[in-house]
Amino acid sequence: MRGIRAAGAVALVALTCELAPGALRVVAADLDAVEARGELVWAADQEGGGPHVFLDPKDPRRLTGFEVDLAELLASELGVRPRFQQGQWDRLPLLLDRSVDCVINGIELTPERERDYDCSRPYFAYALQLLARRDGPLDSFERLASPGPSGRWRVGVLTGSAAETVMRSRSDLEIDVIGYDGTIDSMEQVVSGVLDAAVMDDCIFNFYADRFAPLRAVGRPFAGGYYTIISSRETPALGRAVDEALGKIIADGRLKRIYDRWDLAGRQQILALRDASEIPVASRRSLRQLVASALPLLLASAGMTVLLSSAAFPLAILIGLSIAIGRLHGPAWLRPILAGYVEVVRGTPLMLQLYALFFLLPKIGLALPALVAAILGLAINYSAYESEIYRAGLKAVPTGQFEAAMSLGMTTWQTLRHVIIPQAVRLVMPPVTNDFIALFKDTSVCSAITVIELTKRYSVLALSTGRIVELAVVTALLYLAMSWPLSVLSRRFEASQEGPH
Amino acid sequence: MIEVVALSKNRGGKRVLEDLSLSLAEGGVTAVVGPSGGGKSTLLRCLNGLEPFDAGGILIAGHQLTPGGHPHALLERIRRDVGMVFQQFNLFPQMTALENVMLAPRVVSRLSAAEARSRAVGLLERVGLDGFAQARPATLSGGQQQRVAIARALAMQPRVILFDEPTSALDPAMSSEVLEVILDLARGGQTMVVVTHDHALAQRAATHVVELVAGRIQRQGSPAEVLIPAVGSG
Repeated sequence: MRGIRAAGAVALVALTCELAPGALRVVAADLDAVEARGELVWAADQEGGGPHVFLDPKDPRRLTGFEVDLAELLASELGVRPRFQQGQWDRLPLLLDRSVDCVINGIELTPERERDYDCSRPYFAYALQLLARRDGPLDSFERLASPGPSGRWRVGVLTGSAAETVMRSRSDLEIDVIGYDGTIDSMEQVVSGVLDAAVMDDCIFNFYADRFAPLRAVGRPFAGGYYTIISSRETPALGRAVDEALGKIIADGRLKRIYDRWDLAGRQQILALRDASEIPVASRRSLRQLVASALPLLLASAGMTVLLSSAAFPLAILIGLSIAIGRLHGPAWLRPILAGYVEVVRGTPLMLQLYALFFLLPKIGLALPALVAAILGLAINYSAYESEIYRAGLKAVPTGQFEAAMSLGMTTWQTLRHVIIPQAVRLVMPPVTNDFIALFKDTSVCSAITVIELTKRYSVLALSTGRIVELAVVTALLYLAMSWPLSVLSRRFEASQEGPH
Repeated sequence: MIEVVALSKNRGGKRVLEDLSLSLAEGGVTAVVGPSGGGKSTLLRCLNGLEPFDAGGILIAGHQLTPGGHPHALLERIRRDVGMVFQQFNLFPQMTALENVMLAPRVVSRLSAAEARSRAVGLLERVGLDGFAQARPATLSGGQQQRVAIARALAMQPRVILFDEPTSALDPAMSSEVLEVILDLARGGQTMVVVTHDHALAQRAATHVVELVAGRIQRQGSPAEVLIPAVGSG
């Protein structure tokens, strides 16, 4: 168990180093270095989709989108070539400390971003669009103010987007806001009926409207804003150059030609950009204010982490033990099936299994709530590992125990239940506790299917406040505070086992 | 009580029991003796279906065993009537002595907790372990563990008890504790089959002795007929 404690400390140190701006950082190059290199490295998330940056359906090796065109144009203005860097959308700004020069990917201009990054003048004006199923009950934005036919409206948004911020701030609406990692995930879920509605940037809906024919725009776009190109505050010359280049291509009509090509309402865009007002810059809060405002949110998400692991793990043990018993004592035809289950579950990533449960099952009419899918996914994934541990544990109980119980006239099941399983459970206690701690941390993967647990809450908070290191420490301490008692319990149990036999 | 007819068993292409026939009366104590590897334990394990056999038949406590495997239900019925005590005791380590004795009456005979408990308490007393009901097997001596194992077998009120080398893992003092219990059971008319290489045990406890050599019956008869007195036995 000491190993686990040490591993926890190492993880904390690693996390701190990973995110500390001062430590181990590869600072992005300023303008002179960009020119010397001959490349402008720009980051975006191709999973974010069209019309911004996406893989060309006609040639999936090629990246396309209006921001790809924009990056090309800007790079040529700076006299260099553009080079694309992939990143997960809600973490793109973190790449600015990692040799990425700028992020061009529908980043909304907000006071917080103006404070934390070098933001260019706006290059695109968006508004938010509410959308719902054509045959559904939601026919106006106003209907969100009162509950729908099945209670509160379930509204999907892109995690970390303006849509999420705006919708979460609308306490006047009867809605549950659910965050997704991919732009079109929420559209899929509206089509399959898991969600009642989604809110996203209008240009995205316009782009995918044909693919999602069962969806319609509800009401006019609302709560608009601007996209900005962000770069690190430590590369001011680059930031200036990008901003000036942007000004030039807006003025001479080249940006409008891009928008015309992508059918993005060129004239309306340019007028909006011309009239873009200054957005005030947010002020920096003290550490105390930061912790005071972030801690309740982090604690609530820690509760979700505890809920996920304490619901999933007993289930994993139940399934795992059943599989182990089936493989050792079940009928011959069942054994290869169970062995196959273990191989498949163990051989595929948890993330993929969660996706399958959450996004594929609705397609065959089985829409699981995200929390249920998350618990089930974790339980299934860990059941494969637990079954192997229990199989070893059951085999480690001496044959004599079996023979003694059978010789008393007990059935196989009675023997297992009263004699063998209790002994096996004790034998495997240490590796099983170890797995519980591992599962506990694996819950963070569940954010991929919209469940907001501790790690996800951390990245969202870190991004919106810009206080990456401070919040990382608080988050890591919360994880340790939760896994520590588990280690202690398991040590106690082992000690008590070493006594009598 | 026990009829063994032309029993044969192969293991790994080798014949371990060869055309073996036996008739054991109710209430008697049969000792099965002979050199190691002579098939003594195998014969015993065939009697309660722990091992299958290849030819012949066994009639034990009114149940019929035939060559090959048997349905679980039949084996469970046989084993309720035919108890077994092992060389290595095989007590359930996570349970107390009392719980070891109570378990089968509770789950197999479905006695109430109170009935099972009073039966178990009586049996522990009978094997001289009244003070050890709450002890875990690991805290007991070998002789005490074997006596708990005997009480555990008795708890199912079997018509026959099979002993597989019950004293081989014990030193002489502990062996005699166990022997006393076996003699006490014999006086009570309990039918028993004892596989042993301990001729003193056979001499004192057995009414009938069978000597197995290389899977065949070499000799059988009264202890006086079969056992050569005190030749290096102890």
